[in-house]
Amino acid sequence: MATQKKVNIVPCSGIGKSFGSVSRLAAYFITEDDRPQTTRLIPLALLVLGDESTHQAVGEDPSITMDGCKLQCAKKMVEQCGGQIAKDYVVLDAFREHRELKPEGIAELNENGEKLARALADEVDPLVDLTTGSKKEVAHA
Amino acid sequence: MPELPPKKVGIISCSGEELPEGTISRLATLRVLEQSRPNNTVTICLPLFLAGGEGDRAFARFYPTIAVDGCDKRCAFYGTSQYSNQPAASIVVSDLIKDQQLPASHRRRKLDKAGQQVVDSTARKITAAVDEILSQGWDRRQGEFERADLPAERQQDSSTACACQSEIPSGKVMLAGIEISLVALPLIFETFLKKRKTPSVETAKEIMDMLKIYNRIDPQMDSEIQQAVLDEFTLEFEKLKP
Repeated sequence: MATQKKVNIVPCSGIGKSFGSVSRLAAYFITEDDRPQTTRLIPLALLVLGDESTHQAVGEDPSITMDGCKLQCAKKMVEQCGGQIAKDYVVLDAFREHRELKPEGIAELNENGEKLARALADEVDPLVDLTTGSKKEVAHA
Repeated sequence: MPELPPKKVGIISCSGEELPEGTISRLATLRVLEQSRPNNTVTICLPLFLAGGEGDRAFARFYPTIAVDGCDKRCAFYGTSQYSNQPAASIVVSDLIKDQQLPASHRRRKLDKAGQQVVDSTARKITAAVDEILSQGWDRRQGEFERADLPAERQQDSSTACACQSEIPSGKVMLAGIEISLVALPLIFETFLKKRKTPSVETAKEIMDMLKIYNRIDPQMDSEIQQAVLDEFTLEFEKLKP
């Protein structure tokens, strides 16, 4: 049986702004709830530090980056590690499409922040399916 | 000395999204930044050392920092050491859990009661480290404590503001058609203009002495940069003329 192709989900690791928290929550939605079999969560710190297995994962499988701000640390780090980026998202762009969902709070996001994370995850999920060539996973209980 | 931002401590948190201890690190860091020591602390995103500008890197080079790590990989500590300066203190949440026999948390997205308890302990430890650092002199030129008898944590500890909003401002000078960014230049100019210093070679030398505290200047480029700084200072001086 062939090994299931995976997509790396690389969120922003910022802790100074709500948008960073939104990207992290969206990453949890995707990797824990929506597509646990076809995605893996990549912590940015391990890329910065040069962790071997993390670099190997980024080198072998395509990545979807989700940055909190225009500095795009996640995208830059994946590029610096020689990884292939399937798509780079910036939370601010998602917010522009959903202006009614203004995120607030960092340690604990407000309801709008959680909804914005959900909206971002909904946008990313089909791309994961397309990239891995898999059908939508059935949500487990 | 130019009026740089007041002395603050930078807290660099683990971003380990894959572990409950990473979430604990972030929440404890935020607790200190927002609640216990909001006026004396600032945070710096670890990846900003790579993706950010000179101002982001300069902060940790010239101000004391505390690395808060979730596990023994100590990404925050080693990342900061590699790209900026060795943190003044290091706290590792997994060690704290062992040392204080705290309950283990199993949830990373939203912490359970056990995780919240560890956040409380970690935040207290960070706050104590902030207070200890603030009570000591920090040599901005060397990027280390002024005291010779460093605390044990400095060497080996078993243990909201974001740096991108509070970095030391940079100024630019032109050198042979190339733009060079110099950390703290606007503040230094402001200080000299307030002191009614006039453009001269002597003034330029004094400005260069200040700049060298915050920037690494190639000795071979020293005289060219000094001239470019003098040109820029002259422009600023002329602007103030009635």
